[in-house]
Amino acid sequence: MHQIRNFCIIAHIDHGKSTLADRLIQRCGGVADRDFRDQILDSMELERERGITIKSNSVTLDYQAQDGKTYQLNLIDTPGHVDFSHEVRRSLMSCEGALLLVDASQGVEAQTVANLYLALEYDLEVVPVINKIDLPAADIERAREEISEDLGLDPYEAVLASAKLGQGIDEILEAIVQRLPAPEGDPEAPLQALIFDAQYDSYRGVVLLCRVRQGALRAGQTVRLMHTGKEYDVEEVGLLRLKKDKRNELAAGAVGYAIAGIKTVRDIAIGDTVTDASQPVDTPLPGYKEAKPVVFSSIYPVSTEEYEDLGKALDKLALNDAALTYDKDSSSALGFGYRCGFLGLLHLDVVQERLRREYDLSLILSAPSVRYRVRLSSGEELKVDNPSLFPDPSEVESATEPYIKASVMMPERYIGVVMELCRERRGLNTTFHYLAQGRVELTSEMPLAEVLFDFYDRLKSVTQGYGSFDYEVLDYRPTELVKVDILVNGDPVDALAQLVHRDKARQRALHYCERLAETIPKQQFKIAVQGAIGGTIIARTTINPFRKDVTARCYGGDITRKRKLLEKQREGKKRMKRVGSIEIPQSAFVAVLKTDVD
Amino acid sequence: MHLPGRSALGVDGTGIYVHVPFCSKICPYCDFAVTTPGGGRRRSYLPAILGEIGLVCRDAWRGAPPPAPADTIYFGGGTPSLLEPDELEEILGALARRLDLVAEPWLGLEANPEDVTPRRLAGWRRLGVRFLSLGVQSFDEDGLAFLGRRHTAAEARNAVAVALAAGIETVSVDLICALPGQSPASWRRELEIATSLAPQHLSCYQLTVEPGTPFAVMRRRGRLRELPEPAQGELVLLTHTWLAERGYQPYEVCSFAVAPEHRSRHNPKYWRHAPYLGLGPSAHSFDGQRRWWNLRQLGPWAEAVARGRRPVEDEELLTPMQLALEELMLGLRTVEGIELDGYRRRHGVDLVAANRATCAALGRDGLLTDDGGRLRPTTAGLAVADAMARSLDLEADGAVESAEAGSSGPRA
Ligand SMILES: Nc1nc2c(ncn2[C@@H]2O[C@H](COP(=O)(O)OP(=O)(O)OP(=O)(O)O)[C@@H](O)[C@H]2O)c(=O)[nH]1
Ligand code: SF4
Ligand SMILES: [Mg+2]
Repeated sequence: MHQIRNFCIIAHIDHGKSTLADRLIQRCGGVADRDFRDQILDSMELERERGITIKSNSVTLDYQAQDGKTYQLNLIDTPGHVDFSHEVRRSLMSCEGALLLVDASQGVEAQTVANLYLALEYDLEVVPVINKIDLPAADIERAREEISEDLGLDPYEAVLASAKLGQGIDEILEAIVQRLPAPEGDPEAPLQALIFDAQYDSYRGVVLLCRVRQGALRAGQTVRLMHTGKEYDVEEVGLLRLKKDKRNELAAGAVGYAIAGIKTVRDIAIGDTVTDASQPVDTPLPGYKEAKPVVFSSIYPVSTEEYEDLGKALDKLALNDAALTYDKDSSSALGFGYRCGFLGLLHLDVVQERLRREYDLSLILSAPSVRYRVRLSSGEELKVDNPSLFPDPSEVESATEPYIKASVMMPERYIGVVMELCRERRGLNTTFHYLAQGRVELTSEMPLAEVLFDFYDRLKSVTQGYGSFDYEVLDYRPTELVKVDILVNGDPVDALAQLVHRDKARQRALHYCERLAETIPKQQFKIAVQGAIGGTIIARTTINPFRKDVTARCYGGDITRKRKLLEKQREGKKRMKRVGSIEIPQSAFVAVLKTDVD
Repeated sequence: MHLPGRSALGVDGTGIYVHVPFCSKICPYCDFAVTTPGGGRRRSYLPAILGEIGLVCRDAWRGAPPPAPADTIYFGGGTPSLLEPDELEEILGALARRLDLVAEPWLGLEANPEDVTPRRLAGWRRLGVRFLSLGVQSFDEDGLAFLGRRHTAAEARNAVAVALAAGIETVSVDLICALPGQSPASWRRELEIATSLAPQHLSCYQLTVEPGTPFAVMRRRGRLRELPEPAQGELVLLTHTWLAERGYQPYEVCSFAVAPEHRSRHNPKYWRHAPYLGLGPSAHSFDGQRRWWNLRQLGPWAEAVARGRRPVEDEELLTPMQLALEELMLGLRTVEGIELDGYRRRHGVDLVAANRATCAALGRDGLLTDDGGRLRPTTAGLAVADAMARSLDLEADGAVESAEAGSSGPRA
């Protein structure tokens, strides 16, 4: 056990975690050269294309240290984006230590701080690594000062590295072995293992990733999951190398996988404790908070025939994504669909992207919403995340909405514009403090709903890309909630209805009216597009008749191309959704409802 | 393969199009099948085009009964003026020997201003060129530079003047409007210069940014901003009104002539579904129902010919619906519009009945007139012809269902 080290790599997004993991894997001979590719642990197509990590990934490596001994290193690469911080949390639970990367050209950023706090919450030993020292813009001294002042770590313990060029890799490996503690736990005691992750394998069912705290997990054992109470027979255990490496048992201190005939990830809870059914422990390991969806949106297929396929695709995605929720939903403008819950906008974007790509579906998503709590005059309390379920305003007594603690780190010179942005977004108790190197961290208590609408883009633009953002959900606070309807020639378009704070209603309604007016093709008559609360019109635009797109050139005998374009446009017209007397093309919904994602 | 009633359209003869795929420099907005003449490509063309004519003549219409003899020949490109008159003569000779032509077909040729010399003009006249389309594009130095053209404004003016002086029956000037930032005033200046030179024909296109062109890349990178649609529409209307006042009558969205006899006799065949035979890379052919097209690139095209294969890339057989749709789309681009009786006879569609509300609305908006016999776009309508083609239905609402119900009802 003394020769095991369990650690994860944490950092702000893009600071080089997956690249460092590559180097560690290569240095430990974890992959043959011909099988190697960059960010090898990022196996999802989407991860590879976007160059971001979405899911944590574990791998076991053998490291021959300078002391002559061979260590078993269990490495977990984690995602940097705030939407996936629950993944980081899970990973931390199974480790004794963490490598905290800081990009030498960017310095300490919002998720650097957030992830360090998480690591400290789980009492991990942290080794700071200053990465990307090869970059011309690298400023090692500045990074050191920030590590000292903003993170409170000893800057001279930081290892200097370039994951890209493979510099500092040996130092990092030695630091892991020397500075991170070995796991503790009695191998003879009754089994107590933590489920920190799970994957779905279409052949084997659920593959549990476990950290054994005490005792041993063996093939053939009957185990009980303490939280759900269900019992399973363990079919196989082993280490997660780049391929599964089957073993007879996982002893105390080990990190590995277990397969036990479990059908879906919904049958288990991450953070649950595995114990021996015949010799159970009394208390489970301290559990882990479930990642709860906080952002909701309805997903509709563009063509109604794809409704069933959409359902099947969501079933499949959910097998491996326990945080995704979905229920049947319907709209008179867009037909049948699903109301889905997500961890954040990036999660939403990842899900819709996978549905489009891996399942070849064309989709329309309604505007993302948070979940409100609405108290009725009758005393009853409702949870409402879908505008179509918002009760009649006369019955509503009060409402609350989720607040977050937003934290933004940026160079000092942007403090004014960011404060202004927070004020605009109904931020409360906005405070800031100075960090090293002329930077500030601003925190503000802000409704989550305000972040869902255009926030990342605005932050990026007002700070010229220098601001970084992180948040955690705080609590529910009173709000003045109204339902804004968008009317086209007097008829409400249900798919465009939204729940918003009264102060924001007009602005939001106008935004939607204008976008809609840009995208509904002009018809033979004037069309009024209005925003309304109940019967009161609060915003309006009109679409003047007939779209004046100039006639395109038609050259030579290639009439076919021109006709095909026309056929496509006419096809689009057929697929328009009729709202009252007006036909609205799908493309208008798509354009109006386009979300902005970091 | 004749469509019933095509004679009513007044375009009986077949057209022959010869694509000459070379340009000494490729313009950044161009998406035609073009290449530069270097690398032996220019030399490979003449034998290949003669070879294609030799191949095609055995069965020009690919199994279909041959339509009427060809009465127009058009050399387009690319830059046909890069061919020397004696090369053109060789091609024309082959066409006359191998294909079914009338005695003196109408002959059109595209030329770039820098190629217009008295010697070539004399050659072209001798060959019977009656329509010379000059790729001027702009009379403004900045405009020419933006469009990546090789000639100067002075050369362009000179070319028009020399061509007119040489006695070519119809000299046409091609212009491109709606360049980024172009104001109505600056476009009017272009038109002023063009009309002051008094060519018999003008073609005015809007700049369109086609996918895959350098302009498309520039647009994506934010280095090219197209003129907004309303401003483009304004320029189109300005073109029509300004030219009409000076005696240039439109006969199609982009085409203007001082008198009907100076109109292109070839292009209307495309608009009127007349048969045409295309030769050279990328050229399209149409026999009334089927359309096929040649391999787009010079190399593969020439290679197919060298192997004795007809260089056709693909074909399509138009459904009755597609024929009806094309005729609608193309008809609305022409001043003559759509003759309703003929349309109904050919396609079984009563356009006015199927679109009562739309026609009335378009009429009220001053875009379309219905004088009983014809649906004609107004000047403003021409500017938005594509949009009108989108909005007109080819079936009355529920017509299909009620027809079915009618036929099965009594028997049941
Ligand atoms: N110059 C330089 N670039 C690096 C270095 N390490 C990583 N990068 C680059 O930084 C980018 C992000 O690297 P990743 O390893 O994907 O970063 P990450 O922290 O895993 O990102 P997320 O998983 O999305 O949070 C990639 O383009 C890497 O090539 C380094 O040491 N030097
Ligand atoms: S001259 Fe005409 S055909 Fe040649 S590249 Fe320019 S636009 Fe294209
Ligand atoms: Mg990563």
